[in-house]
Amino acid sequence: MFSWDLLANAVVAGVLLGGFYAAVSLGVSLTFGLLDVVNIAHPAFVILGSYAAYAMNSSFGLDPILTGMLLTPLFYVLGAAVYQVYYASFERRGEESLRGLVFFFGLLFIIEVSLSLTYGVDYRLVEAPYIGKSIELGGVGVAVRLLVPFAVGLAMTLALHLFLSRTFYGRAIKAVSQDRLALRLMGANPVRIKTIAFGIGIAAASLSGALLVTIAPVVPSTDRDYIGRVFAIAVLGGLGSIGGTLVAAIILGVAESLMATFFGPSWSLAVSFGILLLALAVRPTGLFGR
Amino acid sequence: MASRIVVHNVDAGYGAVRVLHRLSIEVREGETVALLGTNGNGKSTLIKCIMGIVRPEAGEVLLESDGARIDLTKRSTEEIVGLGIAMVPEGRRLFPKLTVEENLLLGAYRPGARGDITRNLAFCFEAFPVLRARRTQLAGSMSGGEQQMLAVARALMSSPRVLLVDEPSVGLAPILVSRVIAKIKELKDRHHLTVLMAEQNFNQATKIADRAYIIVHGKIEFEGQSMQELRGNELVKKYYMGL
Repeated sequence: MFSWDLLANAVVAGVLLGGFYAAVSLGVSLTFGLLDVVNIAHPAFVILGSYAAYAMNSSFGLDPILTGMLLTPLFYVLGAAVYQVYYASFERRGEESLRGLVFFFGLLFIIEVSLSLTYGVDYRLVEAPYIGKSIELGGVGVAVRLLVPFAVGLAMTLALHLFLSRTFYGRAIKAVSQDRLALRLMGANPVRIKTIAFGIGIAAASLSGALLVTIAPVVPSTDRDYIGRVFAIAVLGGLGSIGGTLVAAIILGVAESLMATFFGPSWSLAVSFGILLLALAVRPTGLFGR
Repeated sequence: MASRIVVHNVDAGYGAVRVLHRLSIEVREGETVALLGTNGNGKSTLIKCIMGIVRPEAGEVLLESDGARIDLTKRSTEEIVGLGIAMVPEGRRLFPKLTVEENLLLGAYRPGARGDITRNLAFCFEAFPVLRARRTQLAGSMSGGEQQMLAVARALMSSPRVLLVDEPSVGLAPILVSRVIAKIKELKDRHHLTVLMAEQNFNQATKIADRAYIIVHGKIEFEGQSMQELRGNELVKKYYMGL
């Protein structure tokens, strides 16, 4: 059953998948890793982004990924609004740990059910010139519908890394959960900083949703497949580390791809939980945790 | 750019506990004023009142600057920082998981300081060479003395006109206390800062202060216009010199 060709194909596909996984997980690294907000609804916003891209693609024939990019300001505003509600209802009163989790869990179901009611539970897919094509690289076939999301995922990772390390807002986002009072003494309002960061996290989720629908058709409940993945990647990468998120995403992508190739696709979902358990047991701070 | 801080008849505290009782002090342009008192007498609370972290129940906290009187009790901490008042908090309160350089750059967050970043950073590295050597190291991994220097440097990155320093000597070895205090004086002279420093180490504080207040149980018990006057005071002898 084993062949080197199969292995090479699986590894290449896994790396490409990893670039996409990084895009899906960046928002969690930001909100869970840096803000300490357990946004379990993150994958639902990913799927919301998928359906937004699908809607524009099926109605107007717009390119799904371009649509995803154009819609990021809208999702940024949505994310900022969600954080404001979360802050006013839970965080300000110090009730975020349990009730906040329930809030996001509820949000996940509301989004999922709303999508089901609007679009039904059939698989939805998009059309774009690069879907269905593949190119040959040294005997390994590479699907272009994986290559484009991979490239966009890398670009998103780089952009977020530069934003966090080079800008005043970015550095404040990295500092906000370490010492809120100290941040105020720097002249920054912690609630405003967290609102901005949360908005960016949701905007990243929506763009990664456009990548998702390019790779494979989606249904409203696809978000459930990603809850384990995104949190496994954020923890393995070292909470809050953007470079670590990319490395962890590629590790997970390759592991899943190998598992699917040699043991069957039904095992691949178990990989993320296996990695999560392993990371928590062996190195709870993750690969690049500070 | 004359700026002075006026605290007038302030009552303040935490919940039912009143810490400051009709307390008044004044810090004039270019002065270094020491706020002396042992633990629990209200030094930190007074500094927190000026920064808007603790809200007074009565009285005034004013920044008088270029002829304008700004009521600080109506401003948020962020706005007060934006006016050019910086604080070195007790216990340093660095961002332990950020590097030395990231901590310093966060100090320059207020828009009024961003243009001076290159100059201020060069100055901080010159004044505290250890910070340049450790610029990529995590702040939390440094020794207490180095952290205190970083805390002072981070406050200076905001190009302040007024610097409030809360207990710079806590947790430091005596030799480091001398060094940090001497640095604050050097910085003050070069930047024409106005400095208010809360300190329980009488000998160290009086090395650099022009004037001092002694605060006991939330009231100003003595105001020394010079260090000679202060050293001859009975309260000082009682509390600090063991006489």
